Amino acid sequence: MKIKIQRDDLLTPLQQVIGAVEKRQTLPALSNVLIKANDNHFTLTTTDLEIELVSTVNQMMNEAGEITLPAKKLLDICKALPNDAELDIEINGDKALIKSGRSRFSLTTLPASDFPALEDISSIYEFSVPQTLLKTLIEKTSFAMAQQDVRYYLNGLMLEVASGIIRAVATDGHRLSFCEKNINADLADNKQVIIPRKGVSELLRLLSDTDEEIKVILGNNHIQCILANQRFTSKLIDGRFPDYKRVMPEASGNNMVLNRDGLKQALIKASILSNEKYRGIRMIIENNLLKLQAQNPDQEEADIELEITYEGSPIEMGINVNYMIDVLNTSSQETIQGFIKDANSSCLLMFPDENEGKYVIMPMRL
Amino acid sequence: MNRKIIHIDMDAFFAAVEQRDFPQLKGLPVVVGGQPDSRGVVATCSYEARRFGIHSAMPTSRAYQLCPHAKFVKPRFSAYKQASEDIHKVFNQYTDMIEPLSLDEAYLDVTEAEFCNGSATLMASEIRSKIYKTIHLTASAGIAYNKFLAKLASDQNKPDGQFVIKPGEAELYLSMLPIGRFYGVGKVTEAKMQASGIQTGGDLKNKSLLELQALFGNSAEYYYNISRGIDDRPVSSARVRKSLGSETTFQQDISDVNEMSGHLLSLLNEVLASLSKRELLAYTITIKVKYANFTQVTRSYTSDSVVSVHNKAKELIPVLLAKTEVDQKSVRLLGLSFSNLISCENYTDSGQLPLF
Repeated sequence: MKIKIQRDDLLTPLQQVIGAVEKRQTLPALSNVLIKANDNHFTLTTTDLEIELVSTVNQMMNEAGEITLPAKKLLDICKALPNDAELDIEINGDKALIKSGRSRFSLTTLPASDFPALEDISSIYEFSVPQTLLKTLIEKTSFAMAQQDVRYYLNGLMLEVASGIIRAVATDGHRLSFCEKNINADLADNKQVIIPRKGVSELLRLLSDTDEEIKVILGNNHIQCILANQRFTSKLIDGRFPDYKRVMPEASGNNMVLNRDGLKQALIKASILSNEKYRGIRMIIENNLLKLQAQNPDQEEADIELEITYEGSPIEMGINVNYMIDVLNTSSQETIQGFIKDANSSCLLMFPDENEGKYVIMPMRL
Repeated sequence: MNRKIIHIDMDAFFAAVEQRDFPQLKGLPVVVGGQPDSRGVVATCSYEARRFGIHSAMPTSRAYQLCPHAKFVKPRFSAYKQASEDIHKVFNQYTDMIEPLSLDEAYLDVTEAEFCNGSATLMASEIRSKIYKTIHLTASAGIAYNKFLAKLASDQNKPDGQFVIKPGEAELYLSMLPIGRFYGVGKVTEAKMQASGIQTGGDLKNKSLLELQALFGNSAEYYYNISRGIDDRPVSSARVRKSLGSETTFQQDISDVNEMSGHLLSLLNEVLASLSKRELLAYTITIKVKYANFTQVTRSYTSDSVVSVHNKAKELIPVLLAKTEVDQKSVRLLGLSFSNLISCENYTDSGQLPLF
């Protein structure tokens, strides 16, 4: 195999696939990138056995072939070379020789046959959505995913596709985020999948804010997303996601309307003196007034007041200040709306001007 | 001012208690631990047994091969605990800065003690003779100006002896010591050091910190310090328990995963009971699996909420077990422990209510 390529033409696709290469490997080949060269293009593939990333580079080849090279080292070499450098990669026995200007590198290779191939993905559903739509869905919800929870099905993002609708839901058992968008897809029935955390963050890296479409394929055990020169595949979490509809309160009852930015600043102030571990603050909601109170184990206290629009009965409740701030960070809208039944029930937050995200937070006992 | 630390180490403690309580065992090779036909190991053996090459942690079946006429005795922990308490009463006459390492070993900080004109050496021999007179057991002692040296010294004239390392003598003493005798240098490190030309403490001292860092990474500073006899660790009388657990060795290797879960569940109940007796809660649960070929793995799970509650721990056992190779390999030992402990008194619930 022989490849002659401009440094930038190799660096970009390498950076696109490096995310699947983990530092701690169970198989030596997993720290490598698989390079397959055909006549007029070559592909770079990486995997951690859970996700697989592929980038294609259109390039006339000197000689076809396939081999695996240490991914991180190849990336570091590309980064270290000047922008206008040209690389010659040639396989010689079990070594890969990389020449660029007056630099020479000899890297250890492993045969392509050592590289784990992905199982076949039996496609069940296929649809295409604008990249920006999928990106928004993930950005508005993924922060609520659990981390290393015993309930493994919470350590990921649930994606649900129904006729004309796509939804993303994430929850760590204390709070939940939900976002829904319309799509052009005609599906016979609902399909739910859970994408693991790592897959969610890699998928997000793949997406950009354009209306250019991305093709999504859902299989029984995999999700695959395809762009012109990139392909992302992730195994799915095999489990039943909780019934999110059951825990989403109705948008009714005591309704308060707040300025998003004002609330965020008030929460940040209060958070300084909240318990560092548990992050609980006290929210006292009175007639057109919100009081935030925080107290830490050293008995230091913060008291913040904020004007709001509220005419219901007074409520005093405890809440995790970080959960509130996370929700406010998902939108740039001016106004946020909250529905609170009582101090022991979940509260619903939404942005009335966009009406696609819904956020549920369970209170803390005072 | 230099500190005065005494390290007291009882001689063949469990075996000595047996020989004291059952005089017919005196002068005989005594092995305390599992029965020879069982799969247990030697907990302690008498000096008579050590002559046959028996040592602690050796499978008792092997000990039996080495010395078939040895007396194999089951441990009587309540007796050892009682003896240990009696010994601590002697320590208490001299200082309240006592750090027990186990039932038969402790550090004493006697820097402030005014007995014997402040001579730690004389205090150590008084302590040893009081232990012999009142409890009828022998102890060895090491006297030095830090814990590391005191522990080394107690080994020097064992059994029934003592040894002092004075300030100014430590470097010479350490420079001649074989590297394997340093606390913290196990078999693997010993071999690695020897391969790098380090045979004695002197060789170790000749290496610069940078050279040691290249060889041993994070442990370099520890080796650098001990080769110079530097150890600033205080004698901490209120030793905080770091973990609590239990384990069981099976009569026959088991390969049925359900059976393993069952054993882990009974270990769980046992360990939870002792946790609650000590009013402790834990954030980490660990299971230990020793396969039939003696290789061993541990798998643990740490949560930001307490895991030492029955329902939660019960759910975690199969999850942790699935991360081992028990479905392919049979198992001779299972263990379960809790760590990241917090006392019930210091624990406050986050108060976070669950969504579902």
